[in-house]
Parts: sequence; structure tokens; C-alpha cells
Amino acid sequence: MVPPVAVSPLIKTARYSALIAGIIYGKRRYDQLKPIAAEERRVEEEEKKVREEQERIAKAIAEASEESILNLMKMP
Amino acid sequence: MTQQRIVEDTFHDMANMTLFFSAAASYSKPRLATFWHYAKVELVPPSPAEIPQAIAGVKKILSGVNSGRLGQTTVKEAFRNGLVCTEVLMWFYIGECIGKRGIVGYDV
Repeated sequence: MVPPVAVSPLIKTARYSALIAGIIYGKRRYDQLKPIAAEERRVEEEEKKVREEQERIAKAIAEASEESILNLMKMP
Repeated sequence: MTQQRIVEDTFHDMANMTLFFSAAASYSKPRLATFWHYAKVELVPPSPAEIPQAIAGVKKILSGVNSGRLGQTTVKEAFRNGLVCTEVLMWFYIGECIGKRGIVGYDV
């Protein structure tokens, strides 16, 4: 087996400081993005409610005004 | 299915599972041993005594930039240094994956 290479201390410090920097960056960005996503989800929920309300109203109007063969029987 | 058949099948499955786990263990033990053999030397974090050496290395590189010695690196050396820098950069991304607790994307 090839003997293990003695890695230079500069590379070792660079690797592990990059690892720690990455962990800190990841945690910070996650904490930054989480409230933004919650806000977007809330806005999406509200818009969906409004849209569904409008759809319900449109459907009710369409049903009330549709002419079908069954309604002919109800004509006075 | 009769109760006896169910019991026999359960024992059969358990025997297969123990075989599977023992086979996995015997496959991975020597490979784990080689991994540890190299990782103990190459992947250890720098001891506190090595950090001043690292700072001295950075200073050496900076003095090389100033004196123009860096302009004389061969393409082979430059390629090797580029690979090392890429590897160090990848450790940053691994750290980011650990920090955001996910492999792909932020789980918000």
C-alpha cells in the first residue's frame, strides 16, 4: 500500500477553516431564508383563499344562469 | 398460510438477514481499515502547533506574489495547485450542507 501522504499544515488549516466557514454560512443563510419562506407561504395561502372564494361565486352564478333541459320543466 | 409455515418463513428471513449483515461487515471491515489507515494521517485537523506554520505558508505565498516568483510556476504545478484549491473549496460546500441540514437546497 502507498504510505499516507503528510499533508502540509497550510492545506489542513485551509480545509478545516473552509468547513467551519461553510457550516456557519449554511446556518446563517438558513435562518435568513426561513422567515422569507414562511411569509411567502402565508401570502400564498391568503391569495388562494381569495381565489377560491371568487371561483365559488363564479360557479354559483354559472349554475344559477345555466339553461338545461331539466329546467324547462320549471318554466311557469 | 398455516402458522407453522409463517414461523418457518420468519426464521428463514432472519437467517438471510444475519447472513446479509455478516457479509456486509466482512466486506467493509478491511476497506474501513484502509480508510482509517490513510485518514489518521491525511484527514486529521491541524494541531494547534501547526497553525503558525500555516500562517507562515500564507506569508510565503504572498512574498512569492510580490517577488514575481509565482510567474515561474509550471503548468503542471499550477494545475496541481488548482486541484488542491478546488478540493478546499469543496469542503466549504460540505460545511454548507451540514449547516443547512440538507444535501440539495434549503428546507424552509
